[in-house]
Amino acid sequence: MPTARERLTIRGNLGADSFLPWVARHAARLGLDGEIRHADAERVDIDVRGPADLIDAMEMGCLLGPIDVWVDAIERSSDPEWR
Amino acid sequence: MTIGHHAMIDQWYPVALASQLPPEGRTTQLMGTAIRVLPGDPVRVVTGDGRDLRVTLRYGHVWTSLGEPSKDLFDIPEADQPGRRLVEVGVVRVRCSPLRAVENFLDIAHFPFVHTDILGAEPHTEVGKYDVEIREKEDEVWATKVQFYQPQAAKSATGGITTDYMYRVPAPTSTVLYKTCPARPGEWDVITLFVQPLTEELCDVWPWMALFDDETALTDLIHFQQMIFLQDRSILENQIPRLLPLDPGREIPTRADLTSVAYRRWLKRHQFTYGAQLVAQ
Repeated sequence: MPTARERLTIRGNLGADSFLPWVARHAARLGLDGEIRHADAERVDIDVRGPADLIDAMEMGCLLGPIDVWVDAIERSSDPEWR
Repeated sequence: MTIGHHAMIDQWYPVALASQLPPEGRTTQLMGTAIRVLPGDPVRVVTGDGRDLRVTLRYGHVWTSLGEPSKDLFDIPEADQPGRRLVEVGVVRVRCSPLRAVENFLDIAHFPFVHTDILGAEPHTEVGKYDVEIREKEDEVWATKVQFYQPQAAKSATGGITTDYMYRVPAPTSTVLYKTCPARPGEWDVITLFVQPLTEELCDVWPWMALFDDETALTDLIHFQQMIFLQDRSILENQIPRLLPLDPGREIPTRADLTSVAYRRWLKRHQFTYGAQLVAQ
């Protein structure tokens, strides 16, 4: 399966301390490589690398997220800076 | 009791078929509270400690609420459309979370594997792209432009067809499926699942249909739908965890689960958590 690299920009009410560890755990569970590039209470940017279907699954998982976080939307882009 | 339980207490739930209430009434439960549905004019629903609950009769069922619903029961305009047969399927008891029962109904990907050679068949297992949204005005979850190949989409279908679907969730434990009507192109058959939460891990499921089908015997329509749901029951009763996870945890939702994800997001937004698992275990 071809490997893709994408940036997920997550927007919402993301201030809970649980969120970033949760993101890291979920990416690891999916076997994705990645890094959190930016994080504040309203926006988190994650760069991920792996099979496209699993990046889709990362997006689906983050849309739900942990119970104390509300995700409004996730934008996906290929980030030129990251390549 | 948590805030989420309060949010669900103020919803309407089906508790009986209006046409089949025995003279002595139906003794049952709603969200762990013992209730009695009493025939008469008007039909009454009373709790074990004698409290009269609000009641509405719609879609063949008696609906009630333990709390104070802020709005009327959701509308299904097709129920009043001339020429449709309104089919009361009856009740199926399922040892699962009421939210799990709804979520399973929304899952198209399971058709070829659970309803083999009826609602799906290998190798036609792929779910194409479709649209899912939480409609703000109606405050409902909708999935549209869903297409799936089915060997026998309905009792009246004589061969395989690509079936169009729309899914709608107008209340936390009620869902409405609109699907291609084999007998009348351009119209949608309506198949609903009304779920009565007995406890967080036990429910009575009341399927109901509004179909354009003048030929199939009523008992055949009922048996077809019961057969489909009994196939689902064996899956539902073995799902782990029993409660519906709102945090994906060990479950890995994929793009084919978009409707389920939207449903769970909508539950989470409204704190509709009776029957939900809040933290992944």
